[in-house]
Amino acid sequence: MAAHARLPLRFPKNLLLIRNHKLVHTDAAAKEPAYPPIVPSLTAKSKSAILRKAQEQIQKINAAPIQEKIGLITRVQREKFVVYPQTYARNPDRWYQHFTKTAYIPGLPEKFSMGSGEAAEQESPPTFAVPGIENDAFADIRSMVNRLILQEHQMTKKRKLFLYREQELVMGPFLRNLVKGLTYSLGKYNPLLLLSSLDLSPSVHYYWRRGQRTIPKGHRKGHLEPSRFQIDDRPHSQIRINKQLPQFTPMEASYDAEVPEVKYAPNLMPLFRRQYINHIFTGSKVSDPACYGHTQFHLVPDRYHRNRIARLKQSDQVELFLRANGLASLFAWTGAQATYQGFWNHHDVTRPFVSQAVITDGQFFSFFCYQLNTLALSVETDANNPRKNLLWGTESFRLYESVQDSQVVGLNDDVIKLLVQFLLNQP
Amino acid sequence: MFPETSRCLKAAAPVFSQTGFSMCLRRLQPHGGGSSLQARRHLAVSGCLTAKVSSPRKPRIRVEIPGLEMVTYSDRMHYMQHLTKPVFPRWERDYKDPRHYHSPPMQEMPLYKEKPCYIFTQRTSALEGVRQALWLTKSKLIPRLPPQLLSLAERCNSEFPNQDERVKNTIEHARFWDTTQERPGKLKYSNTLLSNLLHLCATLQSSHPALGRRIFNEKYSLAAPWKRGDDLFQVRGQNGLLLSSMDPLPEISGKQEVSETANNLLETFYPVSPTICLQKVHIYKEDENCTGFTSDYPYRHPHTLFFLEKDDVKWTLRPDQFRTKMIMFAFGNALAYARTLDASPRVLDHPITIQSVGTNGRFFQFLVFQLNTTDLSGDDGIKNQVWLEEDLELYDYAKVRPLIKKKQVKVPAGLAGYKPETFSKFLALYLHGVL
Repeated sequence: MAAHARLPLRFPKNLLLIRNHKLVHTDAAAKEPAYPPIVPSLTAKSKSAILRKAQEQIQKINAAPIQEKIGLITRVQREKFVVYPQTYARNPDRWYQHFTKTAYIPGLPEKFSMGSGEAAEQESPPTFAVPGIENDAFADIRSMVNRLILQEHQMTKKRKLFLYREQELVMGPFLRNLVKGLTYSLGKYNPLLLLSSLDLSPSVHYYWRRGQRTIPKGHRKGHLEPSRFQIDDRPHSQIRINKQLPQFTPMEASYDAEVPEVKYAPNLMPLFRRQYINHIFTGSKVSDPACYGHTQFHLVPDRYHRNRIARLKQSDQVELFLRANGLASLFAWTGAQATYQGFWNHHDVTRPFVSQAVITDGQFFSFFCYQLNTLALSVETDANNPRKNLLWGTESFRLYESVQDSQVVGLNDDVIKLLVQFLLNQP
Repeated sequence: MFPETSRCLKAAAPVFSQTGFSMCLRRLQPHGGGSSLQARRHLAVSGCLTAKVSSPRKPRIRVEIPGLEMVTYSDRMHYMQHLTKPVFPRWERDYKDPRHYHSPPMQEMPLYKEKPCYIFTQRTSALEGVRQALWLTKSKLIPRLPPQLLSLAERCNSEFPNQDERVKNTIEHARFWDTTQERPGKLKYSNTLLSNLLHLCATLQSSHPALGRRIFNEKYSLAAPWKRGDDLFQVRGQNGLLLSSMDPLPEISGKQEVSETANNLLETFYPVSPTICLQKVHIYKEDENCTGFTSDYPYRHPHTLFFLEKDDVKWTLRPDQFRTKMIMFAFGNALAYARTLDASPRVLDHPITIQSVGTNGRFFQFLVFQLNTTDLSGDDGIKNQVWLEEDLELYDYAKVRPLIKKKQVKVPAGLAGYKPETFSKFLALYLHGVL
């Protein structure tokens, strides 16, 4: 039955004018909707119902507390690409940049001064000019590094080294002692390090979606499916702090950066898919007060050592391997830190998350800084997202030339300076 | 292991592969599955595992009668029933192939000695426990920490600004937060707890710069020999985490107390021999003394040894045996260092002090060992001193889920019953020598 009442013909024409008078006074008041908003159904078998269900899920995840939020994001298990930070693939850095929407900037941010070549020319007696600490402290650190190198290589009587275990048995303890020695000596100048948490061989995991593909075969053939990725990383050691590091550049500066686009499917890298629990983990659970990351240290295993890569005649891949390692590890760590603060794909970060990494094989050191500006990497959220993540990285520098006759030959001060500056980074 | 048990297991788990099953059987056997005849490596894909294993064949005894020529079928180049089997000279490769190498019998090895040497390794589980360690090291036991360390522990109550809260955070990190699973296993959390506590103590370097003269070491090979009566003993192996320092630890007890230890009687446990459970070897280097480092090592003074009960997955020691291991390796490190200064056995003018901490993730054992003499051949004379405090709890419960009995919460979830005194003693042992 139609609810509309017909206007009777005998109604005076000036009723509308009278009505208008009444309405003049109540126009300013907001019109409250008499009926709830018209939205697509939740349970119908229609495309709009599917869309509405997805939106409801997104709102539910946004409103949940952090532990449940992570659980809801990682609840559904499907096949995903397992991304290994240390990989034998060729040119892995371009692939990883595409997967994580990261732009690579050679060199380090202005905060970290690289090399003292110009300074040495200007001042005749070479001084150890590291902003933030005194010369005596730097000289102490330098002699400590000297002793550590000698200790591991010469002075400790170990059992005979196994094949392909030199990194684990010699360089691993050296790096551990180096990290500890630097952290404790620099604690005086960086109070964050005194309250930090040092993890030895922690696990770092991150799970995200990027890009999509058409399912080629099966009962869902022809449908579009987002590509899922998972990083499971085991750095050698990492330092976690309870305050966030300051950003290197504002987020807007990343709008112009270039991210290489790889048109091929990820499995051509080669990258393989598996299905298991989706982990998002910074190295410690959500209730830990030290939830922000400071620096990670990675050890290059024997399999990817530059001598072995040179024997396989792929020396050009060494730097790319290190870059890909730094990229993937730092992206996973910063992404997990951001997720612990409640940001995710559909709720992008409001402040950039910053972390640092040092990758070494015992003799050669490379330094990386990462700024996470965006977590919105999936197809629907990335459409109008101008932000890009940024990775600064260096080539690998030698710490020392060789060890001969209980003496370290050619100890490079610049590398020690960079290490000190990295650890002194604080808000 | 009984054949019935293996038959039941086989019936219950048909999906196991044969090799997997034989590995399971091996693991279930007592004593880690030594040389048992019942379940050997069985790589066939069919056939049952529990058939009766026939005894190994005894080789025929070849009788050599001098003067009697053996008529063999070697010239005939094939087997002949009525002729005897020829004996050919042993063939040796003219080059060394490591895949086909048979070591010579024990008596022909170059380092073979008639007299056995008894070796204490990291897996030795001494039957008589602490008493045996005291006899072997000729020491006197004092069942509490020395008074200097106790007073230092009282002063260490407020080294950090929020000491209790920070230590509780480290314990919670080790026990709850370190894994993606619900809770980390015992091996993992005991390791993490020790490294977290050491990290916490080491951050004091900003206020005590002398802590910078120390370094950590793992996996160094120790060797320390000594004579006790007629027997030779050695402490060998990779023991644990060593904190070594450039400066020696101060002596705990003065000359008066050291000379008073001469009156102490060593406790024997006849009829059990003191060499029980020690590995007996005939092939060893006499007087092989090695601290694990070369002579020009800057951090030459061993400061503290850290032991973990669950270090070796296959071998767990009972608490008493764990304390024995702590005493023996502390003694070994001190003795090796003393012998680098002077190899002859004598009473030391400056006794060497070394500390030791052992933990299983919740209980801590603290040990201080003072080496007063390297002359250990007789049972009388000046003895070494051991101060041992055992089984100190750091916390009562660290539960992921609360313990509920009869609908009442007996133990709440999280960390419960934290005891700050244990950490103060840990910190005192760490700062000993600096403060």
